[in-house]
Amino acid sequence: MSTPNTETSRSQPLGKVLLSRAVLVLAACILASLLPCMAQVAPKPDPAGIATGDKTTVVDAGGNSFTVAEPTDKTAPDYAQKKKDFDDFQAQAAKEPLAMKLADSTGHIRVATNFAWTLNTGYLVLFMQAGFALLTCGLVRKKNAAHLMMLNFAAYVFAFIAYYAVGYAFQFGAVAVNAAPSNLGGTPTLNHFLFGSGLWGFLGGKGFFMTGPAYDAGSNCFALFEVVFMETAGYIIVGAICERITFWSFLVCELFIGAILYPVFGCWVWGGGWMSQLGNTMGLGHGYVDFAGSTVVHAVGGFCAMALSVILGPRLGKYGADGKPRAFPAHNIVYVVIGTFVLLFGWMGFNPGSTLGATDLRISVVAINTNLAAISGSATAMLFWYLKFGKPDITMACNGMLAGLVAITAPCAFVNPTSAFIIGILAGLVVCLGVLFNDNVTKIDDPCGAISVHGFCGILGGICVGLFADGTYGQGWNGVGATSYLGQAGKGVTGLFYGDSKQFLVQVMGAVICAAWAFGATFVVFKTVNAVKSMRVSKQAEQEGLDVPEFGIQGYPEDAVYTTEY
Amino acid sequence: MKMIEAIIQPNKLEDVKEALYGIGVEAITVSEVRGHGRQKGHTETYRGSEYTVDLLPKIKIEAVVADSRAEQIVGVLSTAARTGQIGDGKIFVFAVEEAVRIRNDERGETAL
Repeated sequence: MSTPNTETSRSQPLGKVLLSRAVLVLAACILASLLPCMAQVAPKPDPAGIATGDKTTVVDAGGNSFTVAEPTDKTAPDYAQKKKDFDDFQAQAAKEPLAMKLADSTGHIRVATNFAWTLNTGYLVLFMQAGFALLTCGLVRKKNAAHLMMLNFAAYVFAFIAYYAVGYAFQFGAVAVNAAPSNLGGTPTLNHFLFGSGLWGFLGGKGFFMTGPAYDAGSNCFALFEVVFMETAGYIIVGAICERITFWSFLVCELFIGAILYPVFGCWVWGGGWMSQLGNTMGLGHGYVDFAGSTVVHAVGGFCAMALSVILGPRLGKYGADGKPRAFPAHNIVYVVIGTFVLLFGWMGFNPGSTLGATDLRISVVAINTNLAAISGSATAMLFWYLKFGKPDITMACNGMLAGLVAITAPCAFVNPTSAFIIGILAGLVVCLGVLFNDNVTKIDDPCGAISVHGFCGILGGICVGLFADGTYGQGWNGVGATSYLGQAGKGVTGLFYGDSKQFLVQVMGAVICAAWAFGATFVVFKTVNAVKSMRVSKQAEQEGLDVPEFGIQGYPEDAVYTTEY
Repeated sequence: MKMIEAIIQPNKLEDVKEALYGIGVEAITVSEVRGHGRQKGHTETYRGSEYTVDLLPKIKIEAVVADSRAEQIVGVLSTAARTGQIGDGKIFVFAVEEAVRIRNDERGETAL
């Protein structure tokens, strides 16, 4: 029989061991990021932003470079031709020094235009945080209003810390290898995989704490845009785990998402990792393609939320003795609707901003597609509920709009407006059926519908790229088909309905990997955490509402009766 | 003296107030209350799950009046609050033993 004393004396060293190991791993990460850049001479970061953008970043409307690079591979069959092109360009450049100077400033202005676009759309995405806080707060019971606001607030703060420390480096520490953001100057200093190399990268390894190679104007512009995307995955979980999770365990969830869960999958798809290169390595279309994050952001958040909700169990009273789900109606429909509109507004940064540049004129198509999917998703959910239950449910109409937005996020740049409208309809159906399915069949309690909106519709979005992409955009995406694709010059990412079955295959595969990674990794980690210490609040706190037991204040303090001492 | 207590639909409050002022009732107390009668509320669906709203919002009006006026006031109040639908509410009349005006300790009907 062990006494409480031996329990504590046993757990104390374990905690210390874990802490010291974490410090060791962190130190190793930092060293690993510093060593290669000490060994290599070039390239250098540009913190002042005065060397980012010159004649090499000048391109025409078709994306063709103004300058001609010197060919390095002398064994290539077209070496002679390339060498001649290069020599001709050098000769021309020597004759026209003024044109070269002009090209330098044009290149700088091009990058500057894209900086402005990327940063400003990033600020719009940041504001989605406010929309989600309003939406989720409105959807829960009044007694948990302060709890909801604090979760949304702390999500931004703590996930940001984790992403700043290690997440950004894990995700984009090797982005220059295969996926350099050329619109922002290319961030050439982020060029090292911690695990893997070449076309099989698994984890970025430069830019920890945004120092050294990441202390660079282009990298920081990129980081601002990417951190607010990570935050989106970070706050999605709030919608599914609220009204019963303790604050400390929520903070652990946020650190986990910002440091590991999100950056790892993000590296695979956006950081030049192995999934993005499947077109080059295994001939699967353009590799796995997700334009703005239906899967990378939303499905990761949604399936992480699903795992956490399974571990936490349903809210007290959600299911009666007969197993039937009970309704806990939203306490403020005004917040729900305003929050949804704020999210729609922010999405105008989320999707069009993902071009990382205003010089990519596809942004207008992306903006229209995003709106079309939003309205068709909402219309579908409204009508579905109207026909099935006799009254349109306002919260489901809002969920329907978000479902359309989530599903169009991956395909928004690659499809035409007709397809965008259809994708919205599909998402509206998926979210309605998903909410009913979770409530009645799986019995996974999801107060705000986060699993259906972000998880299920995120997967739908990833797959829709492989169905509806019409080949008009994305020429040379992920390094595939730069000159011609499927025998046509200028052909971009193409889905099954337009003749590329391999793209469909890789999209299905990628979406499944996304769900498996997000659910699996979260489940293993937090099942363990929950076994050590319960992540759920006490029964009494849950009945009373989490506001006072967890945070010492009610969301609406006038509901409390105060005794003031004078 | 009689205490008239009426539980009415919230949206009939304005009509009832106007009618009472019209016949010279000067002092009333109004509270927002919740409750149900024989019908026991109604059910709604939220995100596909049913829930029952059984304690519906109502308005309670209290007025203490002279014995001689009670019958007339009850009649006016009942007419003004009526919609003819289920849930229109109830009126109760009690005998009141004493009334005190706190300001000057007046007693009885003069204190009303």
